[in-house]
Amino acid sequence: MRYFARRIGFFIATLWAAITLNFVIPRLQPGDPAEIMVRKLASRGTGDAELDPAKVRAMRAMLGTPEGSLWEQYVEYLRNLARGEFGISFTYYPFTVSEVIGQALPWTLVLAGVTQVLSFLVGVTLGAFAAWRRNSRFDSIVTLGSTFLGTLPQFWVALLFLFLFGYTLGWFPTAGGYSEAMPGWNLEFIAEAIHHSILPAAVLMLTVPTGWILGMRNTMVMNLGEDYIRLAKAKGLPDRLIALRYAARNALLPSITGLALSLGGIFGGLILIEQAFDYPGMGRLMAEAVSNRDFPLLQTLMLFSVVGVLVANLIADMLYGVLDPRARKAQA
Amino acid sequence: MSRRQRAAAVLASLTLVAAMTACGSDDAAESTGSDGMIEQLVFPAEGQASQGGLANYNVFAPNPTLWNGLFEPLMIRNSLTCEIIPWLATEYEWEGGDKLTFTIRDGVTWSDGTPFTAKDVAFTFNVGKQYPAADRAGLWNDSFGAPASSVTAEGNKVVITFTGNAVPKFEGIIGVQILPEHIYGSVGDPTKYVDEKGIGTGPFKVASYNGRRLVLERRNDYWQADKIKVKKIVHEGQYDAAQASLKLRSGELDAYTGEIPNPQRSFVDADPEKNHFFYAPAGMTVLTPNLTKAPFNDVKFREAIAYVMNKQEMSEKATYGIMKPASQSGLKLPYAAKFLPDTYTQEATILPYDVAKAEALLDAAGYRKGPDGKRTMPDGSPLAITFSVQAGWIDYQAIADVAVRGLNEVGINTRLVPSAPESVDAQKKSGDFDLLLEYLHGGCDMARNLGSKLHSGQFPTQTEVRSNVERWNDPATDATVDKLAASTDEAEQKALIGELVDTMMTKFPVISLLYAPERLIYRTDKAVGWPSEENPYVNPGARLVILTHLTAPSKS
Repeated sequence: MRYFARRIGFFIATLWAAITLNFVIPRLQPGDPAEIMVRKLASRGTGDAELDPAKVRAMRAMLGTPEGSLWEQYVEYLRNLARGEFGISFTYYPFTVSEVIGQALPWTLVLAGVTQVLSFLVGVTLGAFAAWRRNSRFDSIVTLGSTFLGTLPQFWVALLFLFLFGYTLGWFPTAGGYSEAMPGWNLEFIAEAIHHSILPAAVLMLTVPTGWILGMRNTMVMNLGEDYIRLAKAKGLPDRLIALRYAARNALLPSITGLALSLGGIFGGLILIEQAFDYPGMGRLMAEAVSNRDFPLLQTLMLFSVVGVLVANLIADMLYGVLDPRARKAQA
Repeated sequence: MSRRQRAAAVLASLTLVAAMTACGSDDAAESTGSDGMIEQLVFPAEGQASQGGLANYNVFAPNPTLWNGLFEPLMIRNSLTCEIIPWLATEYEWEGGDKLTFTIRDGVTWSDGTPFTAKDVAFTFNVGKQYPAADRAGLWNDSFGAPASSVTAEGNKVVITFTGNAVPKFEGIIGVQILPEHIYGSVGDPTKYVDEKGIGTGPFKVASYNGRRLVLERRNDYWQADKIKVKKIVHEGQYDAAQASLKLRSGELDAYTGEIPNPQRSFVDADPEKNHFFYAPAGMTVLTPNLTKAPFNDVKFREAIAYVMNKQEMSEKATYGIMKPASQSGLKLPYAAKFLPDTYTQEATILPYDVAKAEALLDAAGYRKGPDGKRTMPDGSPLAITFSVQAGWIDYQAIADVAVRGLNEVGINTRLVPSAPESVDAQKKSGDFDLLLEYLHGGCDMARNLGSKLHSGQFPTQTEVRSNVERWNDPATDATVDKLAASTDEAEQKALIGELVDTMMTKFPVISLLYAPERLIYRTDKAVGWPSEENPYVNPGARLVILTHLTAPSKS
C-alpha cells in the first residue's frame, strides 16, 4: 500500500511543478504574438516585411493583452485549468484551444498509438527470438540490422520514402492526412486516412522497434543465464516452454514500463514526421504554436504532453508493482 | 500476433485500401477548353494553419481558410505602376485632406443573390468604430493621420470625414475587404464570428471543403464574369520549398508564391517552355545603422561604408542573382523612376562596390588604420562593430555575411551575431544595436514608406517596432514628410519626394542593398496571362487582377 501511496504523492507534486513551469516558460520567450501574426499575414514568403502599425494595433485589440500582475495571471490560469477552460487560440482565433486540439489529437493518437503498439509487439518478439537463438546468424542480423535502421534519422528516411514511393513510384499520396473525402465515419474517409498514414507509419516502424529489440534481447540474455533457467532445463522442461513462460515473461517487465512511458509521450506528437508528410497531428500544432507565440495553445499542448508522460509514468510504476511481486515486497 | 500473421494482415489491408482509393481518385481533368475557358487550376492552401478542419472564411481571422477570391476591396493599387484600379468603387475624390468620397459600383451582387450597395461599405467601416479589433485600416485611430469622424452612405456614394488630414490612410482604406451587412451585421464583434459560408462579392464561391481540399467555383453572376475564364480553383496543401518544387514540376500545382531557392535551376530548367517565375521587386533590404551612436552619427563614415557593400555578390549569394542591387534613392527603380529628380540618372543612384574609394573616404574622415590594420575612431579609441542578423532568415544571413566581409576588408572590425528574430526585434525597440538589416517598403504611398522611415515620429517604442529603426532625426525631413502626407497634387508630391531622395543620396540615413521580391512561380500549360518580366502588368500579389487576365493557352 505504501508503495502506491508514495507513487501517487510523487505524481501530484510533479504535476504541480509541471503546470507552473508550463505557465512561466512561454512567457519568458521574447516575441509579441500580435506582431508575429501580422508579419505572417503581410509577408507570405519573404522573411521580413514592413509591419503595418494599424494592423498590429487591430490584431492586438483582438488577441487581448493580459491584465494584472504575473501572480494574478497565474491564479487565473490555475482557476481556468481546474474548470477545463484552456482559452482561445491566437492562431485559430476565434476557435477555442479545446476545439483545435480536438481536431489534431485523433490523428496523432491513431498514427503514434498504433505504430507504438505495433513496434512494441514486433520489437519484443524479434528481441526474444534473437536472445533465444543468441550468437546465431538470425541474432546477428536482427541486432546489427535494427541498430543500423534505428539510428537512421527519421526525417531523412521520411524524405527518402516520400521521394521513392510518393513521387517516383506514385504508390502513396505525398501529403496530408486525407485528400478528397469528407471527414467522418464513412468508408471513403477511413480508406483515405489509412492510405495516407501508410508511409508515415512505415517510417516509424523502421526506426522505432530498435529500442524494444535490443532491450528485450539483452534482458532476456541476462535472464537466460540465471540459475532457475538452468534448473528448468535440468528438470527436462521443453525449450519452448522455458523461453516463453519464464525467460520472456520476466524479461518483458522493463519493456512494459517502457511501453507505458512511450505511449504517454505520444501526446507530444511526432514533429518531424508530421512536418515531412504534412500530417495534421499534435506535433505540427506544437511547432505552429511555438512559432506563433500562441500562448493559450502552447500552454495546453505542453500540459497535455507533460501530463501524458506523468500519468503514463504513474501507470507504469503501478503496473510494475502489480506485475513484479518483488517490487511490492521490497518497498513494504 | 506472430510476425508472419502480421505481415499477411498488413498486406491484405494494403491491397484492400489501394483498390478502394484507386477507384475513387479523380484523374487530372481535361485542362484546356474552347473559348479560352480553363477547367481547373490548383494552388496551395491559403490557410497557413495545420488544422484545416476549422473552416473560417472571416477575413479578420489570423488564419482565414481563404484570402483571395471571396471578398473584394474598394480599389486595387498596382504596386508596380502605382496606378489605382477601380474595383468595387468606380472613383474617389478628396476634398481637402479630411473628406473622402467613393462612388460605389452598380450591378454587383453578393454570392447569395443579395444586391451590393454603399450601405455594405459604410457598415464595413463603421463596425471598426465599435470594435477596434475590426479596424484593420486604422480608420478610427491616429495611425497614418487623423481619425475618422463619420462614415455615411448617401445613395451610391460613401463619404468619410476625418478630424484632420488623413491622406496617408488612403492605402489602408482602399484595401479593406468589404463585408456583407446582411450577414455580418447581426453577429456583434465580427472578429469573433466564424464565417462558414464565405458569401462575398468576389469571382468565386465555395463549392466544397473537406478540411483539406478547398474547391472554388466560378460565379456566373460576378460583376465582371466575362473576364474570369477559370471555372474551378482548388486550394490544397501547405508545401515547403522542396515539396512545392516537386509538385510544380509534376504539374500538380499551377502556381506558388513562396520561396523556392534557385528557381531557374530547380524549376525553369526542367521545362523552359512551360515553367516560369516572376520575382517583382516589392521593397528593398537596407543596411540600418544606429544613428544615435558613434561612428554612425558621422555622415562621412556612412558614405564610406556604402561603397564597401558588394551588392552584386549579395545578389548572387542571397537570391541566386535574381534580385537586383537597389537604388540608394530609396525608390523602386525602374518602376518609380518618375519620382527621381532630374539631377540624378537611374544608374548613378546605384552605388558601386569600390573599396579604394571607401578607404580614401575613411582616411579623409579621420578613421585611420592602426598598426594592426584595424581602423580606429578619430580620437584613437578602438572601433568594434556588432552586426545583428536574424538567424534562420537565410537570405538576410547571406547578405549580412557579405556586408561584414566588406567592412572587415577595409579594416573596420565587425562581428556578425546571428540571433533569434524576436531578439533582433527587441534590439530595434530598445535601440541597442550597431548595424542591422531592415526592410524599406516599396509601396506607392511615399509618405507612408520612405517618408515614415525618415520621420522622427516613427521611432520604435518599447512595445512596437516602427519604421524609423535607424532613428533619423531631422526637422527639415519631418516637415517634408508632413507636407507630403497632406498633399494630393502630383507635381507637389514629386518635388517633395525629390527632397527625400536628396537626403538619401547625400546623408545616407540607411544604405540600400537589394530589392526584396514578391514572388510568383507558375506554369503556362493550363493558363496564360500571368504577369512576367516581359509583361509586368501587375505585381504578383494582386491575385484578383491576375484572375481577370488568365485565359487558356491557344492551341497551336
